[in-house]
Amino acid sequence: MIRVEEIEKHFGALHVLRGITFHVEKGEAIVIIGPSGSGKSTLLRCINLLVEPDSGKIFIDGVHVNHHGIRHEWVRQQVGMVFQSFNLFTHLTAIENVTLGLTRVKSMPRDQAIEKARRLLARVGLAAKENAYPAELSGGQQQRVAIARALAMDPKAMLFDEPTSALDPEYIREVLDVMTALAREGMTMIVVTHEMGFASNAASRILFMDAGKIVEEGSAEQIFHHPKEERTRSFVSKILR
Amino acid sequence: MEATVAFRRREPPKLVTVITVVHLIEMTVATLLMAFVVLPMIFHFSLLSSQFWQIYGRFYVTGLFGTFFYVAVTLPLSVVLGFFMGWARVSRIRIFSWPASLYVNVFRGLPPLILVIFASLFGTSLVPQPILDRFFAGFRRGDIAVGIAAIAIGMHSSAYQAEIFRAGFQSVPKGQVDAAQALGLRPWQGMRHVVLPQTFRLSLPPLGNEFAVLIKDTSILAGIAGTELVAKSRDLLGILPANGLPIVWIFAVWTVVAFTYFVLTYSVTRGLRLLEQKFHTPGLEAISL
Repeated sequence: MIRVEEIEKHFGALHVLRGITFHVEKGEAIVIIGPSGSGKSTLLRCINLLVEPDSGKIFIDGVHVNHHGIRHEWVRQQVGMVFQSFNLFTHLTAIENVTLGLTRVKSMPRDQAIEKARRLLARVGLAAKENAYPAELSGGQQQRVAIARALAMDPKAMLFDEPTSALDPEYIREVLDVMTALAREGMTMIVVTHEMGFASNAASRILFMDAGKIVEEGSAEQIFHHPKEERTRSFVSKILR
Repeated sequence: MEATVAFRRREPPKLVTVITVVHLIEMTVATLLMAFVVLPMIFHFSLLSSQFWQIYGRFYVTGLFGTFFYVAVTLPLSVVLGFFMGWARVSRIRIFSWPASLYVNVFRGLPPLILVIFASLFGTSLVPQPILDRFFAGFRRGDIAVGIAAIAIGMHSSAYQAEIFRAGFQSVPKGQVDAAQALGLRPWQGMRHVVLPQTFRLSLPPLGNEFAVLIKDTSILAGIAGTELVAKSRDLLGILPANGLPIVWIFAVWTVVAFTYFVLTYSVTRGLRLLEQKFHTPGLEAISL
């Protein structure tokens, strides 16, 4: 489904990604963990080309996407993205946030778009909030709208960039529930998160990244309880309290 | 998971606020005091004097229309120029941002009176002769000079408006653009549907302020024989002694002029405030002045 080969990325003198290679099968949910600054977010942003890698190849459904002649807009319709800080469009209501991509990118007629958006808002438990502006919603509600907005484009895969790190503790659960349900339904997902519960329940594999490299890869059981690498062990011991 | 109460739609904005009432009362009281206490008691003159209005009326109407005309020309011009200059200033492309910065700094840094003087002195020679002949054949050179000076006032204001729009653009967080791109919107679509609507809302309150300044600044054209309210009022005062008219008219005329500018600027700022309320969005509140 998604294949990443030897990705390199520099920001000025910073060498952020140092030869990342991995793949995600259809229906898999991959969790990426690692210390801050290890390049997790940059890696996610490379996959939908919000950040252009310096070298290396990215394939989505067999298509080499960081290649001349492939429109970025097309690539971004294939993979939905959910951000740490939600990034809902401030001037639009919940439902308008969901319909914008449908009407403007997919050229869907307005009434159809609204119908679809209502279904998606209901799916994330926010049917009653369709006319609320982002500022009128709690962090958890905003993030669920953001998930609905991304799902509206019928993406082949979803990228989650620390979707619960900016949330107050009482709202984390509702967002993770939506994500877990999504994983159960067979959505292909790459999730950067430190939520161990989610990783154990929903992840098919866990990647541990440090200093721009994938250090270790394995099941939740292996990474959390029997890590092979010393760096993994020391990081996991810190986040498992 | 959620309370099932349907979301309550916002109430329509109130047309008249407490502030409106307070301002109107203040200014009306000041004018009434001048008209019915100061002028009659100290100068034995009433603003309701029919002789005064018979003579001043013509000057007043001509002047007011002149002011309207200059505002109608300079205001749209300054908004359009200001918007594009503000946009260019936030551009990452140097050939846009650098000239825009230069423009803003020059026009913001010079007093509008100096700009008007230069425009009236050299303005007409900046316009190529064929264009003058072709489009402005019926106009006197002096009127063309005043027109160019009006444009100079508009450009002065546009420099301030450019800064307002620049602040508006920069207040839209980078994450909004990320989200637009991640949805698959093209760059211009992100600009059109995500960035610009937010810039517009954030820029409205300070724009109202700047419009009031621009309206008042058109009075500077009186300095170079522009036909507007201050100039026409001064014209009348110039012929008072020769016609044996009472000198107290000086106070009456300037009272009327002052009140007129207040009503003009106040209606414009109020109008913009209504627009602001119409487009009010929670989370996109800019500081109102």
